[in-house]
Amino acid sequence: MISNSVAEVASYKGLTMNNNVLLKATSVMWLLLLLFSAMYSYAAEHEHQHGEYGDSPAGGKVKQSRHSMRDAVLWTDYPTLKIMRGGEMGSRHDVMLLPKNIVPDSIDAYSSNVKAADAHRQLPYDLVMAKLGSLSSGGFIWLSARQEAAGKVIVASTVHYVSERGSKNPTAMFMQQKNALEIIPQPYPREHTRYRSNEDWKFLVRFNSLPLIQQKVILMTQNGSKISLLSDVHGMVTAHIPDDFKTVAEISDIQGNRSRRSSEFVLATEHLSAGKTYITAFNGQYAPDAFSQRSVLAGLGFMLAGMAGATPLLRNRRSAKKTSETAKGAL
Amino acid sequence: MLTRIFPTLGRFRFTVQIIMLFVTVYGGALLGTYAVDRISQALPSLSCSYDNMTGDQCILIVTQHQLHHRIGAALVNAQYAAVNVLIPTLISVGTFFAFFFFLNKAFCGWVCPMGTVQELIYRFGRRIGRPFHRFEPGNVGKVRPIKWLILLVFVLGLPLLAGMGLASDKLGAPFCQVCPSRLATTLLTLDAEQIAMQTSSGIGFMLNAAGNALFGFVIIAALAVRQPFCRICPLLSWNAMFQKLSPMRLVKKQNQKCEKCSICQIACPMDIHEIGREHGSKAFHEDCTLCGRCAEYCPDDDVIQIKFFGIKLFGSSLQNYKKRVKQESPEGMPKHAVIWITPVKE
Repeated sequence: MISNSVAEVASYKGLTMNNNVLLKATSVMWLLLLLFSAMYSYAAEHEHQHGEYGDSPAGGKVKQSRHSMRDAVLWTDYPTLKIMRGGEMGSRHDVMLLPKNIVPDSIDAYSSNVKAADAHRQLPYDLVMAKLGSLSSGGFIWLSARQEAAGKVIVASTVHYVSERGSKNPTAMFMQQKNALEIIPQPYPREHTRYRSNEDWKFLVRFNSLPLIQQKVILMTQNGSKISLLSDVHGMVTAHIPDDFKTVAEISDIQGNRSRRSSEFVLATEHLSAGKTYITAFNGQYAPDAFSQRSVLAGLGFMLAGMAGATPLLRNRRSAKKTSETAKGAL
Repeated sequence: MLTRIFPTLGRFRFTVQIIMLFVTVYGGALLGTYAVDRISQALPSLSCSYDNMTGDQCILIVTQHQLHHRIGAALVNAQYAAVNVLIPTLISVGTFFAFFFFLNKAFCGWVCPMGTVQELIYRFGRRIGRPFHRFEPGNVGKVRPIKWLILLVFVLGLPLLAGMGLASDKLGAPFCQVCPSRLATTLLTLDAEQIAMQTSSGIGFMLNAAGNALFGFVIIAALAVRQPFCRICPLLSWNAMFQKLSPMRLVKKQNQKCEKCSICQIACPMDIHEIGREHGSKAFHEDCTLCGRCAEYCPDDDVIQIKFFGIKLFGSSLQNYKKRVKQESPEGMPKHAVIWITPVKE
């Protein structure tokens, strides 16, 4: 048996790393990479130094105040629900809701877990803000504010996501009827992703659970875009999220310390039924285009540089043969 | 029936790898849009969260996020630590361990999409006659500490410093920015976004430059070297921290014949020379991915075994060895042609 094994070893045509080919190739590659990176990053920093905020400890005040100033300008007449995260200590569980262009009679939260005891609950509301508080289950939470007065039913809705292992698939919750006139994402961006410019997203427009055909829906963004859409025979509208970030200065998140640019949009529709006017809006955040401030060319360049760094490993056939012969000789 | 479909452990592992490649890369499409939260968010393999179709996410992204968004901030606000830090972190590690407990580092050898991609490239390299490089015992020791360094700096250190406000916020998830799995899995879903490099920040650019170059290096190197990235993968070192806590083990008995035979160490894709020399717990090395090739290629009965709670799942045998070498040499050279390409005789 052993002789069989030794024979197998003798026939082994491997190249050992005596000459440190891999280590040498890697070192050269990293040196080149470091040089390129340093040069390019220096240029990139100078190009963008006016558009980017400096880094600061968690909860940087400067960034927060700039964001608040921009938020103070009302960018839409449609009702919206703004999610304010953080509270005093920056806790992600401390979520407040700020209704705008609506004086809600109630603000409700719907959990992904439709069978949970608190699957649907009314939130405490002090006429300025509502507090989401802690939920028994996380995942996707539908938030909805409703106002009914003088023959008008106004609804503002949005979705809040709390990462949680084992949370339920939210599709059933999204589809359950929560109000008469509804705009429902089909689907909503999955975990840890969000709407982005130049993406197409579908929304279902329905009234009393029945799709509304040829229904006019307005898409408005905080960056100033306004687009009119029409629903198809299935009540679906396809919203192309506009690439309108180029016109505004770079901003950061609510907490100010993430330095991710984002803006807000609202989809709104109006429907008349039985003498009542129903106005429903769905708002959310969107980020710039996936390729914004990114370079495919530079990416491919560095990938090719890495590939070039590894090519010496593919060219040692003569020495491979030599090593193989040496191994055979030794055995 | 099963032995006809899977005559060798290698065939069985390859089948599992291909299935897991689909689950980890395209699982979202198979299991529904919102699959990630429902499975674990803490998989012990490089299942990438940048892949919009992934079925689950790697433990390293969760760790970096928790260090960045929670632990760093909570250390600044220490009174919140118990509720906001310890519990979520323990849940993450606990979820990870609930998976890891059963398969141990087989997550590296059987499930990881990046491992499978490298293995497929290496197989292709054998088919087109590229040379085969392996690390000698003297050199492999120089590479091994790198994975610990990457874990310490990129997965734990920099995100923590960023969370505390002592480093740039762009260093919140630095390992993900250099991880080749981010590029491999997203490219497999035809998403070119991750190839594009950030130009708005110097740090982001440098990390992406390193990531893209590393990816390019790995996919070419994999034609000639087995599992080039696995050797420096911080998930291997992360998993190594827990490997002694799982009842799934690689076990090797002392055998005098081992001194004259080194097939198991040639078969090992991680060049673990200790498998040929050592026995007992030392044979189950920190670099082991539990692929089982050493057990398959060991010609002596039950010298190398894969055990779960002491029960043998697979053991070496002359019969298995004979079957295996008919298909493939220990270093991975195929013996048979596939329809579209024949192995190059060296």
